[in-house]
Amino acid sequence: MFYLSKIEHTLPLPAPQLSRPIREAIHTELEKLFLDKVIANLGLCISVYDIKSIEGGFIYPGDGAPTYTVVFNLIMFRPFVGEIMTAKLLSSDADGLRLSLGFFDDIYVPLQHLPSPNEFKAESKNRCRYPYLIFSLNKYTKGTWYWKYEEQSYPVDDSDMIKFRIQNVTYPSIPVEQPKESKPFAPMLVTGSIDHDGLGPVSWWPGQEEDAEEEEEETAAEE
Amino acid sequence: MKILEANNGALTNFEVLDFLRAKGASKDPTRVLAKVAQSEYKVYDYLIDTAARDQTRESINEFLESVKSHDLAKAEILNIINIRPTNIVEIFPIIECCDTRFSDEELTEIVEIVKRTLPPPPEDANGAEATKSNVEEGGEQMETS
Repeated sequence: MFYLSKIEHTLPLPAPQLSRPIREAIHTELEKLFLDKVIANLGLCISVYDIKSIEGGFIYPGDGAPTYTVVFNLIMFRPFVGEIMTAKLLSSDADGLRLSLGFFDDIYVPLQHLPSPNEFKAESKNRCRYPYLIFSLNKYTKGTWYWKYEEQSYPVDDSDMIKFRIQNVTYPSIPVEQPKESKPFAPMLVTGSIDHDGLGPVSWWPGQEEDAEEEEEETAAEE
Repeated sequence: MKILEANNGALTNFEVLDFLRAKGASKDPTRVLAKVAQSEYKVYDYLIDTAARDQTRESINEFLESVKSHDLAKAEILNIINIRPTNIVEIFPIIECCDTRFSDEELTEIVEIVKRTLPPPPEDANGAEATKSNVEEGGEQMETS
């Protein structure tokens, strides 16, 4: 999930920072530049891990700030294909699910990666007897997905964490123009899958919960 | 900006959590005084709810030693440390070609090593995740003492 990436960058240190110790000042500048930003093919920058070397300090003519060449390590969030993670359900609609890690929200589980057989129950304010009519009217209808397994319908809802496997990570290029109503641009898109044993909401796979309840009773009795 | 090494080493969730803790991140109200950015706090809040919360360097080293005898890839070991599976069903998606590479007994053995060396994950707010409540209480005692 997390990797260290070694980066070399040349940056000017603005004059107000010059009174601080140089390491701290450069650390703050690097954080301003890289924190919470996506670097293509490297991932989302979480933190500046350490600074390996600082060189330079030249002041270019006409400039008030010295320029430094810094080599440093960044902690990057870069999930690899096949990795398993747990996330919260952010929203669920006819196209699939959208999951969130708190610090990263662009995780989508599209239709084809949901366990089958499944069904989608759109929630609607006006109760219509023909849900498929509403479905066609509004493509982004919200609703709940159900997994039909052995005569039982298991819902995918936001009551617990959802375990999923990374299928794909893409870094779409920045669009020049975007129509007003489209979703905000996501520089890093993660596609997940819950179509496997052990994946999906954590509550779907019991066996550990029963042990935990037994132990809780035992400790309560001891106390 | 020049990328010198795109992959200078993989980090377990525990190592990132440890790094953020060393910076001063915590759950209690003094967190506002620490030099930790908002985005870093989001990562901390996510990691504190995973199995990484109670792990220690020693427990991870112990796990690595014990699991050397089994033929697991680095990525699989990383996944196991991050997720801490408690039964075979949870190990299935982690290991590739699980049924061809390992028999059921070997998988049970790996799960046993995990349960023995790595501390259990913290309890989820809805009680959905597995927890051994007596060990969790032990963990809380360690933090306060």
